[in-house]
Amino acid sequence: MLWWVPDCIPASPFMAPQSNPAAAVAGSAKLLEARGIVKKFPGVVALGGVSFDLRKGEIHALCGENGAGKSTLIKLLSGIHPHGTYEGSLLVNGREAAFASLQDAEKEGIAVIYQELALVDDMTVAENIFLGNEPRTRFGLIDWDRVNSAARELLDRFQLPIDPSTPVRDLGVGRKQLVEIVKALSKNSLILILDEPTAALAEAEVSVLLGILKDLRARGISCIYISHKLKEVFAVADRITILRDGVSIATSDKDSIDAAGVIRHMVGREISDLFPRRAHPPGDVVLEVRNLNVADSATGRLMLQDISFELLAGEVLGFGGLMGAGRTELLMHLFGVWGRRLGGEVRLLGQSLPADSPGTVLRAGLALVSEDRRRFGLVLEQSVGFNLSLSSLASLTRGGLIDPVAEFGRNRHFFDSLRVKSPGLDYPVGKLSGGNQQKVVIGKALMTGPRVVFLDEPTRGIDVGAKLEIYETINTLTTSGKAVVLVSSELPELMGMSDRIIMLNSGRIGGGFARAEATADRLLAAAVGQKLPPNLS
Amino acid sequence: MNKQPAIRDFSIAIVLVAVAALFAVLSPQFLGPRNLSLLLIELSITATLALGMLLVILPGHIDLSAGSGVGLLGGIAAVLVFQNQWPAPLALAAAFVAGLLIWRAMGWLIVRERIPSFIITLAGLLVFKGLFWLVIQNSTVPIVQGGGTNLYSLLTTCYLPQAAGYALATVVAVCLAWLKIASRRRRLQCGFEVESGPASFLKWLVAAQFLVLFVAVTNQFRGVPLAVLILGAVATVIHILTRHTPFGRHLYAIGGNEEAAVVSGIPVRATVIGAFTLMGAIVALTGFMQTAYAGASTTTVGELMELDAIAACVIGGVGLKGGRGSVMGVLFGALLMAVLLNGMTLLAVSPEFKFITRGLVLAVAVWMDVRLSK
Repeated sequence: MLWWVPDCIPASPFMAPQSNPAAAVAGSAKLLEARGIVKKFPGVVALGGVSFDLRKGEIHALCGENGAGKSTLIKLLSGIHPHGTYEGSLLVNGREAAFASLQDAEKEGIAVIYQELALVDDMTVAENIFLGNEPRTRFGLIDWDRVNSAARELLDRFQLPIDPSTPVRDLGVGRKQLVEIVKALSKNSLILILDEPTAALAEAEVSVLLGILKDLRARGISCIYISHKLKEVFAVADRITILRDGVSIATSDKDSIDAAGVIRHMVGREISDLFPRRAHPPGDVVLEVRNLNVADSATGRLMLQDISFELLAGEVLGFGGLMGAGRTELLMHLFGVWGRRLGGEVRLLGQSLPADSPGTVLRAGLALVSEDRRRFGLVLEQSVGFNLSLSSLASLTRGGLIDPVAEFGRNRHFFDSLRVKSPGLDYPVGKLSGGNQQKVVIGKALMTGPRVVFLDEPTRGIDVGAKLEIYETINTLTTSGKAVVLVSSELPELMGMSDRIIMLNSGRIGGGFARAEATADRLLAAAVGQKLPPNLS
Repeated sequence: MNKQPAIRDFSIAIVLVAVAALFAVLSPQFLGPRNLSLLLIELSITATLALGMLLVILPGHIDLSAGSGVGLLGGIAAVLVFQNQWPAPLALAAAFVAGLLIWRAMGWLIVRERIPSFIITLAGLLVFKGLFWLVIQNSTVPIVQGGGTNLYSLLTTCYLPQAAGYALATVVAVCLAWLKIASRRRRLQCGFEVESGPASFLKWLVAAQFLVLFVAVTNQFRGVPLAVLILGAVATVIHILTRHTPFGRHLYAIGGNEEAAVVSGIPVRATVIGAFTLMGAIVALTGFMQTAYAGASTTTVGELMELDAIAACVIGGVGLKGGRGSVMGVLFGALLMAVLLNGMTLLAVSPEFKFITRGLVLAVAVWMDVRLSK
């Protein structure tokens, strides 16, 4: 029934952002408030006293390590954990709210935009926006003309260059996210809750998203913004609330706290060095790639052109580039799970690697930790132990049967050394937090005893503490003479952890840099192919 | 690996007892030694096929052609014995090899040519049914020449001598005790908690008493049926295969997340082809037993058996999307299906209502599964 544009958005096209949003915030009433919330699960206290409030027209960031209770709090605010299953009170506009379901929260104008996108890939943008809410004709049939024109109007309002008749499948992650936001606004939402909205976005897409949030703020729409990326938090938030171990530690105006302060509250200790890379004198060449040309096997399009590089024992080689530059494709191809090789050669320790046999590549000593751990990394319903040993079963087998003692010992070793926080090896891996899932994927790769480890976005969507542990693991690997290829969309991480950096630009090498000569602008220039600083090798 | 199915198994056990009690009240013969012996043979046939189906469903596939295959492979062996005068062992071996080759080919088509298993085996269902009727020329082909016995007919008519039954029960009980002690020692060594010694002993004692009771009951009729031993062997092999070998782990991983399995270096194609090849062997074995049980190969042998096998799996907690299920669960599911069919036959329920009941039981079982796994 609410098929058209909500009233709270002025009908005039794109409004200029208000010059001083803080002025609008000051003195406004509490739109949403949580008081002394305690939420217990059998055996666990997920929230042990959280107080939080959201004002009209503010962006309020929620920070905390994975497992700090952010997700639980959101589920409570959005009615997924219904009233009565928690202690404490929840107020909307000063009145006690008792949400029995997600629908109740939606009626109060609360919409959640999840990390895992909830769009139907096969439908168009317009169909998705009005899914379950389609305008009808007199005869009760869906009025497709109105679906499309209303979608067009909404997209125009935010100056989004998206055609409403495009299938969602054809959009990038960033645009899908924007479509989800538009979908939420089409339901008259006053409060948007965004859970790690930029985890999969490139820098340019992030700034579009942040711009839109600021614009919405100026129109009086409030937003709860959850992110591990403090830079974004400080760019967009008015206030910041930090959760640790299920307790709200502090709420602060953006201007009266700095990044170090937020991190200190999050982890409860000082973190002096965010990227503790310990360089290690490199050894011999372990991986050699010569003149590699690879096409997408589905479309036949040339995706990687003339890629050549060498990887030395004990070094971290970083790969950077914009979305679609071919970083993930390169790693996936070298590992033998993507693309058709048109030419070129790949040698690992002098041995030629096949282009289509991940099993062979793995046995030759190359392991891959994929960027998408839920899709390519884990069998979610199985246990931590099942996943850890999955790639190494052959070496744990005696007389055709898996030796349970050997398997347990090996699992235990990686479980402990990577400090996986889980009730045990028997626990389903799907129930762990993102950071701990990532450690399991890394453990699975390391258990195969690789000489070369590919890490594709290893710290995406995980908290600061787990990030540091993963950086430590990288240091340990290179100290023991293994070579690491690190792909990262975050320039500080790439520059902080790599000994050398290669930037990709549209499937070609845009430039190579030693650690000392890598600056953010030189890297970005190479990523967009502006100028080619002297190649390294 | 999974702790939850215990609740589910328990609920199925309750339904099983309730159904059995109902039949026992309605028909006193139900619990008689003769009927129990027949029930065991019927269970062996259904459960063997269901265990094969487990191997195919675990990696997320399905086999709709199993029922037609049962008829076809049993029919081939019968024709070779009765019309071509082949010795029974040779005829069975020939049909067995045919089963391996045909199912391997289907597996190959599924993974290499990426044709969904639903389609390939649906085609198989029709093609094998046609071939079956061609092979037996729409007639009834006995499995043995002139009323004698051969290996083929013995599959469902051979019983262990009384003493051998008890000896076997003893051997199995000793093996169980040994396995229990070994596993206990291993768990202690790994620092897992173990159940207390007396509790462990009591459990073993109950199992041992059950074995003796089982032999005692079957000895009331003719002894432990050979078919039960075949099922025992198949169940043991598949249990070890799924729980203790890389092949089994790979089946679970493929069903749970095929893309992750590929990136984990698992030979996904070879594993799925392997599962289908094993299914071929099991379809052949089931075909021989089912045809022997019917006494001759006729056009209706094996009809709808694939659906009973799938139902047994689902009732036993096997996830149709793959990645979930166990041998114990499937055995329970098959037992429920076998009890239902046997009891209804005993009560002379008309075929119409047999179909309706089987369908309703399947729907209710899945509904309970969905409710309980929430």
